[in-house]
Amino acid sequence: MDNALNPHPWPRPPARTRPIEVDPIVLQIVEGTINSIEREIEYAIERTARSPMIREAHDYRVGLFDRYCRKLTGRSYSAMPNAVVRDYPPETMKPGDVFLMNDTYLTEGSIGHLPDVCSTVPVFNDGVVVAYIQAFGHHDDIGGRVPGSMPGTAVSVFEEGLSIPPIKIYSEGVRNDEALKIVRRNTRVPEMLEADLDSEMQSIMMGAARMGELFTRFGTAVVEACFQAILDKCANIYRDELLPKIPDGEFSWEDYVEHDGVSAPRLHKLALKMTKRAGKIILDFNGTDPQSPGPINWPADYADGAFLCKWIAPILRNLADSPERAAEISVNEGVCDVFEVIFPPKGTLITPVWPAATNARSFVLLRSLGLLAGAVAIANGGKMPADQETIRYSGFYGKDLNGDPFLSREVLGGGSGGRSYADGNDAIHIVPDSRNQPAEFTENRFPIIVEKLALRTDSGGAGLRRGGLGYEKHYRVLVDCHTIVTADRVRLGCYGVNGGKAGQPFCVTVDLHGKPKDLGGLVDGEPLRAGQTMRVVTTGGGGWGDPLEREPELVHIDVEQGKVSRKAARDDYGVVLRATKVGAELRVDGKATTTQRATLRAKRTGPLPMIDRGPGYEKLKKAVAKS
Amino acid sequence: MAPSPWRIGIDTGGTFTDIVAVHGGTGRMLVTKVASTPANPTLGLVNGVTEVMRIADEPLAAVATLSHGTTVATNALLQGAIDGLGLIVTAGFRHILEIARQAVPDGYGNSYFWVKPDRLVPLDLVHEVGGRLNFRGEELRPLDDKSVAEAAHFFKRKGVRTVGVCLIHSYANPAHERRVRDILLAEYPELVISLSCEVLPEYREYERAVTTLVDAFVKPHMSVYLRRIQDELGAELAGKPFLVMQSSGGVISAQQVVRKPITTALSGPAAGALGCSVVAKLAGFDDVVTLDAGGTSTDICLIEKGTAHLTNGSSIGPFPVRIPMIDIETIGTGGGSIAWLSREGHLKVGPKSAGAVPGPMCYPNGGDQPTITDANLVLGRIPPALIGGGIALNAERSRAGIAALGERLGKRMSIEQLAEGILEIANWNQANCIRQMTIQKGIDPRRFALLSFGGAGPAQSPAVMRLLGMACCIVPFNPGNLSAFGLLAVDWRTDHIATRVTHEDAINAVTVNEVFTRLEREATATLARDGIDPARCRTVREADLRYVGQSMEVRVAAPAGEVDDRFIPRLIEAFHAAHRKAFGYDYAGKQKLELVNYCVSGFGMIERPTLPQLAPMPGVVPARKAMRKVYFEGAWIETPIYDRAVLPAAHRIEGPCVVEEFGSTTVVWPGQWLEVDGHGIMLVREKVTAIRP
Repeated sequence: MDNALNPHPWPRPPARTRPIEVDPIVLQIVEGTINSIEREIEYAIERTARSPMIREAHDYRVGLFDRYCRKLTGRSYSAMPNAVVRDYPPETMKPGDVFLMNDTYLTEGSIGHLPDVCSTVPVFNDGVVVAYIQAFGHHDDIGGRVPGSMPGTAVSVFEEGLSIPPIKIYSEGVRNDEALKIVRRNTRVPEMLEADLDSEMQSIMMGAARMGELFTRFGTAVVEACFQAILDKCANIYRDELLPKIPDGEFSWEDYVEHDGVSAPRLHKLALKMTKRAGKIILDFNGTDPQSPGPINWPADYADGAFLCKWIAPILRNLADSPERAAEISVNEGVCDVFEVIFPPKGTLITPVWPAATNARSFVLLRSLGLLAGAVAIANGGKMPADQETIRYSGFYGKDLNGDPFLSREVLGGGSGGRSYADGNDAIHIVPDSRNQPAEFTENRFPIIVEKLALRTDSGGAGLRRGGLGYEKHYRVLVDCHTIVTADRVRLGCYGVNGGKAGQPFCVTVDLHGKPKDLGGLVDGEPLRAGQTMRVVTTGGGGWGDPLEREPELVHIDVEQGKVSRKAARDDYGVVLRATKVGAELRVDGKATTTQRATLRAKRTGPLPMIDRGPGYEKLKKAVAKS
Repeated sequence: MAPSPWRIGIDTGGTFTDIVAVHGGTGRMLVTKVASTPANPTLGLVNGVTEVMRIADEPLAAVATLSHGTTVATNALLQGAIDGLGLIVTAGFRHILEIARQAVPDGYGNSYFWVKPDRLVPLDLVHEVGGRLNFRGEELRPLDDKSVAEAAHFFKRKGVRTVGVCLIHSYANPAHERRVRDILLAEYPELVISLSCEVLPEYREYERAVTTLVDAFVKPHMSVYLRRIQDELGAELAGKPFLVMQSSGGVISAQQVVRKPITTALSGPAAGALGCSVVAKLAGFDDVVTLDAGGTSTDICLIEKGTAHLTNGSSIGPFPVRIPMIDIETIGTGGGSIAWLSREGHLKVGPKSAGAVPGPMCYPNGGDQPTITDANLVLGRIPPALIGGGIALNAERSRAGIAALGERLGKRMSIEQLAEGILEIANWNQANCIRQMTIQKGIDPRRFALLSFGGAGPAQSPAVMRLLGMACCIVPFNPGNLSAFGLLAVDWRTDHIATRVTHEDAINAVTVNEVFTRLEREATATLARDGIDPARCRTVREADLRYVGQSMEVRVAAPAGEVDDRFIPRLIEAFHAAHRKAFGYDYAGKQKLELVNYCVSGFGMIERPTLPQLAPMPGVVPARKAMRKVYFEGAWIETPIYDRAVLPAAHRIEGPCVVEEFGSTTVVWPGQWLEVDGHGIMLVREKVTAIRP
């Protein structure tokens, strides 16, 4: 999708007339060093940033780019410098310039919500801009209606905080304190935000000096040839190794976000038609639902969908020959060569029109991974992992036993989907190195007792390879307080693949007059009484393959370990376990299992679906139709 | 009684067991190497001790002490099958190991294909017991004795022989865990037990549980090993003090190691780092990066102000082990690292390794892929024969291997260009790793010297020094035996910790005094059990503090002596200063802090070996052993070769040159020069930036 007004205002790489020649030694040195520079910047940020979101939850990203705004390193996604280059042509940039931005609509689709304030620094060689480095952290607050700048019920960007279009925050080494004054005045934590920004800017400036040395040492032409080879490597791996595992043709799939915080629960559809041709994948999102009045919109239709490609493409690494090989594959801008994105017209969930709110766009962002994975599973006969959902927030606020205010927030992961080669992982989180809170920390810091921290029995979707289990965490509060929850997949489970069943959805309950009350997925301040227990159970991953094919001995172990109940073993897996006498250990009853499996098979009305959405889907559809 | 002057250090590695013996009176030092005997490491140890005393021409009775660095604990953990291990946890926490910290390593989206490794204890061998403490150590529910007895019967029935116990908040009150042990032993007396309140009395239940299980698991391995050593040492040595190196950088008697064997996890590398700090100090450097390049990997460690950096955030393989250990970063390049082509046809160096078997192509019965050692040999940088000249190396095989690699690479490069390129890639890898490690600590590597040891270090380290712009490259005497030497240069050490999370406003002198005094009593009692004269004992207090709201503590030194009114403000000021140094800022006067852990380390001071000075030989020009063509930066240069043994002190040699010795080779590049100091330590510097000390 070209932006008709101003197509590609950043430089395009020159057309290639012949294959590039690189020195294989220098190539390794350049590749090793840019990867190292990325790590060095991350270490510097971790060491000097102040907010817990960056230091402890590791919610920040660094990126190195060539002069054509192409991302060179591939450990995680990052922002993009395109918007900076659009507004400040490289020939006008000077050494010592640094740019700042967070506007979700004016950053070419590279920043999804306002707390992600992003710094960009150009790298020079011989007085010419040869590269860019960026860093953004998820900062604690950038103003707006609620602390943390993520109002779950926002209907416009004006409630979400301060929007900063690309601006020059350092000009030849001199900081623009006037602009910073405005930023400081618009956040609840001016000191912490300023310190975090300072940490990020200093760290990328250090990185820019390091990258500059690389150009000085080997010369611009040599280094740029290496960059091209690094990008080509990624494109070639996709083209030659991964894409051949998807047959040519058109394959469609859709998935849903369940609520937007402001309207009644319904299915907000994300639609994808994937067309696979030799060496190319076309992603057509036409059919996606209109933008939502709430904050779940994701402005993705910029820069030819480059951000979306780099975000979504890593899911195809699951097509690699082994998980070890998958982990080796870096995804850089080279991947954009094999994708083409067709966006629906303006006004949908992924093409929202300013000033639609975006702070909870992570629901859509996460769903898009499963959207492509599902289309590929349909295309290649189920050789993809089943679905997972591993980000949601839950917590408490109020006054502690001393009367001091407290706010406890935690991201609890979930189970990952089963794969052809292994069961899904129990209780994991998609953000690398992000950690949960030890119970001993929680109890020390907050007026809470963690009564149970466990895996949620039966939450993983049944399958030949079972879905991973979600959490079951019980919190007993010692004071009157309030609870907050932001979660999707509350009605629909994570889907199962190739005959595997969907996992169980997320749920939060509290006891009210002795009866558990389901709080749903978006809770903003539900009161809790001292002594009450809140139970959070998170999503299990989808199952993979026919559960009636699962080795009975594995089901036996699952029951011994409390991962699967004896009832589910019989009903979902057709495995009958029996103790020879009371109190003795369980054993698989082979004969009864054969009979039970035959019975369950006979009940099937047709072949197992390639993708199972679970019972929540029909329920919600009916409920919506009724209303 | 005849004096027993010889102190012996024995470092058992995968291939060789290194022995250093120092005469306490004269400082005379002898070194040797014997083959390791992995099937029964005891044999190599005993052979080595016998061998070094034979060289010394002294009876075994002349041995004063034996200090040992061992990887028995680590190997048991990483190589052996882990079975027969059980875990006891608080009711409600059965899945503590499965859940861990929910983290997936590396990149975004790896959660789809990553497979969680097996846990130390399978879920069906995790047993819950009733009873609950709060974070102050107060009892919310009493221990359910019956559930503990059930656990004992359950483990007996399941054939579980070793158990870790980790109850919530046991760091604040050990009573429940101790009672669990009493009940278990009453019901199942043969059971081996580790309690988390004794192994790691620190908050964070998952890490504490794993650390406790690792300790429990290695306990039987360590006791068997040490008992076997006692049996094999023979009558003359069996009664001698036998000390084991701990990962924290101190030794402790074998008898005490058995109680908490986890402290030996990184025993050998810790000894190496300690040896380095002694050598660096002798050479006049307080701040060094140490680089220990072996056959398959390189260990890097930071020494600042003469002290090796410690961490308590380390892990052994996939297992987090939260006890103080020397902070060592390992990268996958060593002498045996293989140069290979990736699937995409890109040239890679390491982490695949030919190791010691089959070894580089040039070795007798060597492998079939070129390694770093082959590249060095092809370029004339290392001598054409192995250690001491005993085994000839086959340079033709190395050339052929590199030529074949070049052909597959399809570039017009000579064998020498490709060999030099392979080494360049390895050097940049090491330099980048050092940069990452120093940036994490806020250190500028240019302020530091590079101390290079291990068999494969000094042939390349002067080039790494150049890449990083570091001040100097130090090559110690006997660079292949530095870890064994380090074993003789360390003190007894014992670490004690207690978690009491206390807000700044609630810290009171009485409690602080009470906790520190108790820990100090524990420390001195531990040292006393090793028979250390109280006059030689020293305790050091530290504390972990953090700003309220953060979960990362900073460890700071706490004042010694009576805890008075000035103690707490001084501790708080020390924290702000340490935070400023570590992270570049502090919140002094703006944010309250909390005290988290009290730490006491007890040291039993050991007399350092005095190293003899080389006799100065003014005017003596060192004899060249030979001239050899060596390839540097794209050209063959006729280069002088020296035998290290004949290099006189205070002599300066211009690069390029090559210095050969038993077990290691040092290469000095054109534009660098080499100097030998009074202790025989070699210093390589750049001509243009070098400033004489």
